[in-house]
Amino acid sequence: MSDLASRLAALRRQAGVRAPEPAPTARAPAAPVPNRPDLALLRRMAGVRERIAQPRSPLRAATRDVPGEEIASGLRYLERRFQVTDAPAEFDLTFARLTTARREHLLHFDTETTGLAGGTGTRAFMIGAADWHDGGLRVRQLYMTTMAAETAMLRAFTGWIDADTVLVSYNGKSYDAPLLATRYRLARMPNPLHGLIHVDLLHPMRRRFRQVWENCRMQTAERKLLRIVREDDLPGSEAPRAWLTYLRGGASTDLVRVAEHNLQDVRSLSGLLVEAHGWAESDATSPAGYEK
Amino acid sequence: MAAYLKALRADESDTVLASHHDGRTLAHRLTDKYGDRVCSAFTVFGREGSFAPLPGDLPPSLASALTARGIERLYSHQQEAWEAARAGRHVLVATPTASGKTLCYTMPVLSSVLEAGAKALYLFPTKALAQDQVSELLDINRAGDLGVKAFTFDGDTPGDARQAIRLHGDVVVSNPDMLHQAILPHHTKWAQFFENLRYVVIDEIHTYRGVFGSHLANVLRRLKRICAFYGVTPQFVLCSATIGNATEHAQALIEDDVVTVSRSGAPSGDKHVLLWNPPVVNPDLGLRASARSQTNLIARVAIKAKMKTLVFAQSRLMVEVLTKYLKDVFDHDTRKPARIRAYRGGYLPTERRDVERQMRAGTVDGIVSTSALELGVDIGSLDAVVLNGYPGSIAATWQRFGRAGRRQQPSLGVLVATSAPLDQYLMRHPAFLTEASPEHARIQPDQPLILLDHIRCAAFELPFLAGDRFGPDDAEAYLQVLAEAEVLHQEGERWEWIADSYPANAVSLRSVADGNFVVVDRTEGRQTIIAEVDYSAAALTLYEGAIHMIQSVPYQVERLDWEGRKAYCTRTHVDYYTDAIDYTKLKELECFDGRNAGEGSARHGEVHVVRRVSGYKKIRYYTHENIGYGPVNLPDQELHSTAVWWQLPQTVLDAAFRSRQHALDGFLGAAYALHTAAIVAVMAEPRDLQKAVGSGDGGWSAQVDAGGRGQIRAPDGGLALPDALERFLPTVYLYDNFPGGVGLSEPLFQRAPELLNHAAATIRGCECKAGCPGCVGPVLAADEGREETPRALALRVLTLLGASA
Repeated sequence: MSDLASRLAALRRQAGVRAPEPAPTARAPAAPVPNRPDLALLRRMAGVRERIAQPRSPLRAATRDVPGEEIASGLRYLERRFQVTDAPAEFDLTFARLTTARREHLLHFDTETTGLAGGTGTRAFMIGAADWHDGGLRVRQLYMTTMAAETAMLRAFTGWIDADTVLVSYNGKSYDAPLLATRYRLARMPNPLHGLIHVDLLHPMRRRFRQVWENCRMQTAERKLLRIVREDDLPGSEAPRAWLTYLRGGASTDLVRVAEHNLQDVRSLSGLLVEAHGWAESDATSPAGYEK
Repeated sequence: MAAYLKALRADESDTVLASHHDGRTLAHRLTDKYGDRVCSAFTVFGREGSFAPLPGDLPPSLASALTARGIERLYSHQQEAWEAARAGRHVLVATPTASGKTLCYTMPVLSSVLEAGAKALYLFPTKALAQDQVSELLDINRAGDLGVKAFTFDGDTPGDARQAIRLHGDVVVSNPDMLHQAILPHHTKWAQFFENLRYVVIDEIHTYRGVFGSHLANVLRRLKRICAFYGVTPQFVLCSATIGNATEHAQALIEDDVVTVSRSGAPSGDKHVLLWNPPVVNPDLGLRASARSQTNLIARVAIKAKMKTLVFAQSRLMVEVLTKYLKDVFDHDTRKPARIRAYRGGYLPTERRDVERQMRAGTVDGIVSTSALELGVDIGSLDAVVLNGYPGSIAATWQRFGRAGRRQQPSLGVLVATSAPLDQYLMRHPAFLTEASPEHARIQPDQPLILLDHIRCAAFELPFLAGDRFGPDDAEAYLQVLAEAEVLHQEGERWEWIADSYPANAVSLRSVADGNFVVVDRTEGRQTIIAEVDYSAAALTLYEGAIHMIQSVPYQVERLDWEGRKAYCTRTHVDYYTDAIDYTKLKELECFDGRNAGEGSARHGEVHVVRRVSGYKKIRYYTHENIGYGPVNLPDQELHSTAVWWQLPQTVLDAAFRSRQHALDGFLGAAYALHTAAIVAVMAEPRDLQKAVGSGDGGWSAQVDAGGRGQIRAPDGGLALPDALERFLPTVYLYDNFPGGVGLSEPLFQRAPELLNHAAATIRGCECKAGCPGCVGPVLAADEGREETPRALALRVLTLLGASA
């Protein structure tokens, strides 16, 4: 309270009962002593407006184990490989109004973020990417267990990309790529995605199935085209909470489920691209053959 | 219109007019003819122009563009501003209205664009001013084929254009709200713009005062923080109308030194000013003719004398009524283009642009406006300005008068007094207007709640590091509160944004609610939008039954869809207009803290402010008789805010005052004095911190009526007498006029004894007899002879509350 009192005393002098001169402005040679308002007072005043009463989740005696290998302080790395035999060596991208791409150049990626608010305050805490490697599908994932690991994560992701990389995503042109561009900018690092060819599957899916499906979300496409139904999937909207819970010292249970969800997303991306590649041949027939 | 009325009015005005007049001759003729109405007449002398050649270091292409636009030399202040800007200084230009302030920043900005590919950000308080500015820049650009790209960036800018503006805009013209909500929180998308940002131009800085100004100062702190991230330190060029402390205000906003350019080199003619009090029409009751009738008379005479005339009215309704009266005289032939136009907020942008264009082209002879034309909207030059009522501040009065005066020609300015006590006071004491210094603009950017808001937004834009300052203070206490609210996460030395929210959207720089109402014309099956009305004005102008006028054409509101923000109306032909009856009352919700104050108490806490429109009056044109009432059923305008309040127990009042009416008058006077003291104490604007007198239990509320006496409004909206009340617990409230409060009233509670002493000292030291705008509020002449004067009553209330005698 004494700080606040001195602050008020200063105010009193400033506004002073008819100070001889116009009240000193904020530029006035303020005392160099840091001037701290009373915390309790601030809380109370802020409370009138917001009545923030978010109950904190009680800390349960739950696991804090996180999967993967720590490749830099606070940055963990996961890698899984899957045998897939039917991927073409050269993908026909006419469905996306592009020409072709070689299989080894494709990078299917997806991020998990702290929210949807947009702007400089939203960050990716996990990046997953699938590519064709050694005749199979390789899925690599990076995620942060501390905020400070962001730079290391961005640097590691840069290492996965070169000038020939063709990006594949679902709504990544409007969401993941701009978000990463912002994060690279804030970290003062060059944006490795800049200038690359980017196949965003959302738009071709919409063009083709808007009239057919109830919606064109990724999980709908996955179910209709790849016959994949997820079990015990953590909805994407739960991801921010799951990561924050872990970051604040809570259980890692849901964070592990986010990693599973992200893994499935990038696997499905690769499957959907194979499907879309096939459209070039089957375009003579109508898409009515698909399950409605 | 009745023929006899027409004849009557024509008679009165035609006698004055000879043929062609200028400001000087018309002022003399009016004074000769209506000497008893002119309380004071004086002349503000003009000055010779002072010129300088175009600077030698001006880029040649810009110099030829200016020459092509007819600018072959500069006014001396423009040259001064140029030199200061080129020397790398922050510049404040504080010369009068219409002195060519724009060129003071256009030259350095365009030079830096042409010479170095630099970028500039312009901030204007309104979209209309921003659009004006861009069209002017485009004109210069075209004249010199400069290749400079200037764009507006505001809420109306379509999404696909925004990307191009961010990448290619050399001059981006926006407003503080957009900078706060759209640019800074997305600064990475503006990276190229920020990396090359050289100038930030802020025009009309006198409008950024009080809470709005405090917000802007913090937005500028955030802007500077972002600029530092991109390694630039832009220069500020600021412009202000005449206020008492332009330099201090500019320095408070940008927290740095400025070079002030205040001596105008632009030539100006003499300005002849009349203070005009309407004649007494009923000597027994002391009733005067209406200000409206006199404004109408003066405007009519001036227009007939071929002077381009601008009338300022205090409300949108009065704009329409005065427009109608002038149109009845000048625009009865509907086949000809309109000579009289109205201009105000609430018109569609296209309508406003159209009026501006016609004013500039000189095809309109008379324009009736609200304060909307007080700012620098370009409407060309005028010969006469008539103010229908005192605008409320000395600065605004001169700002409005400043609209008249083309080059060396003499111009006319008339202030017509209403019956309001303040206006009448001015007529008795003209020196108040001519000798007092214009008002000071005050801001308090370090007010804790405002700081908390902006530190929240700043943390979203860039993380804070331990020890980082925001403004003069270490931000840590605020960061801690934000971390507790789980919007920030502290890790080591860093505080990072972590919440899934966009904080700038929750912080409004202005105390206006969102959600414009559209007015839809349904006449003969049409579905045309004819107006947009902002939320705050909707309840007062769009209730069912209201006559809503646009360019004085009446429409009747048939249905108001409050939730859908739509009002449906049809064209009508009635001979009346409508005026809403509204009142405000307060109720205590929660008391945070309290203590004794003399024989009463002072408290601080949360209050519920209700503004209710209870009905409307129908008022006939010309006679202004009240021809009926209508009920209004609208949701109350509610505000939860924080307040400080004082009250005295009934027994104390009974012992100290002869009657409850005396006590009530004392409370109203004390409220006035406390409000004035409080505004100075927390550097607020009167509109940000409001005063109210009402019952401590939220029952009744009290206002000063037209006769200068306290008047009590019962909970049902009707009038009540103090003696008829069961409980009489008058209370003075000072409350933050912002949803949730902005923290103005809390320090007032801490400093309550000092405020009381200050208020009492002001009253005691005042040289007036019974009361005046400087102490307890203006009083009517009749009160000056009262046995117990309003100032004595107010002083008694303050003393009972503990003010030292």
